[in-house]
Amino acid sequence: MPYALCQSVKPMHEFSISSEIVRTVLDTAEKNNGKKVLSIQLEIGELTHLSGEQVGFWIKELFKDSVAEGAEVKIKTIKTRILCKACGYKGGIGSDPEDSFSHLALPSCPRCNSFQFKIEKGQECILRRIQVAK
Amino acid sequence: MKVIRSRGAEIFDIELEKDLLARNKSLARENRKRFDHSKILAIDIMGSIGSGKTSLIKAVLRRLGLGKEVAVIAGDLTTAIDAERIEVEGARVIQVNTGKECHLDANLIRQAISKMKLDGVKVLFIENVGNLICPGEFPLGAHKRLVVTSVTEGPYMILKHPYIFREADVIVLNKVDLAKAMKVNPSQLEKDAQKINPHASFIKTNALTGKGVPQIVRALGLGS
Repeated sequence: MPYALCQSVKPMHEFSISSEIVRTVLDTAEKNNGKKVLSIQLEIGELTHLSGEQVGFWIKELFKDSVAEGAEVKIKTIKTRILCKACGYKGGIGSDPEDSFSHLALPSCPRCNSFQFKIEKGQECILRRIQVAK
Repeated sequence: MKVIRSRGAEIFDIELEKDLLARNKSLARENRKRFDHSKILAIDIMGSIGSGKTSLIKAVLRRLGLGKEVAVIAGDLTTAIDAERIEVEGARVIQVNTGKECHLDANLIRQAISKMKLDGVKVLFIENVGNLICPGEFPLGAHKRLVVTSVTEGPYMILKHPYIFREADVIVLNKVDLAKAMKVNPSQLEKDAQKINPHASFIKTNALTGKGVPQIVRALGLGS
């Protein structure tokens, strides 16, 4: 049968994105003649299915034996922000303090309860900045 | 990137502002341009494991009767089972194996289309990996997205996975012939779908008999 196989070698979301982050950090440090990476700042949208804890874990693991070994990995969560197409509301979707995953459940506009909204923030994984020593 | 400030002679902050999830979106846009340039209508078929994606694609191919004017990219972790089932319907097929990755991404689609002869292809179906969670986050560049769930998964799939159903142009409830045995009410699922995505078409099907398939063909803009 005429088919070709394309293999992806990334075993899971957190590992694959952490690998990309580490690669970007090390490339950036090298391009800027950094001898040591002291810290990195990452922001992860709460609607992505990425666990900040696991991402941080993998980054630190992958930093071992490199100029970034021991670097501080700071991770901030980006809260969801929506633009409601029904009433024009711009803002967060509110969350249940008793339920840390409430933002992933059936979300609606807090003002008019519509499900017709655009997600403006909460789906990103941003490598904001890194701190290097020359 | 730019270096913004020195914290003394030796230490620098480098602002990157790099969104690592943006890369898939930009690759998806490139795929879409490629499809538009070749006048190919690309459809991303997502759905739960075992919901009937392959069976539905087979039924749609039979209904369309376009032979080699249809191409299919079958995505799965391993094996070529889906591709082999689809090939008998006469379409051009390629199997993409993701290994352990639980969704297709725009990069894999780009690689797949580079390996296929797409001259004369009018429609491309992309069968995504069975999963109601991750594929929604990874656009592939398709023109339309169809999401399948089936009555054998119980009554709560749409409520539990709103984000993927929000992305759909067409929502399919398959295996409706088993609704009574499963004690699942298709009308309730239709209400759930309309609540979170009133713009999507909701179609009840039995992929094995072909029930609902003409409606799918119309809803996807493939004629009747």
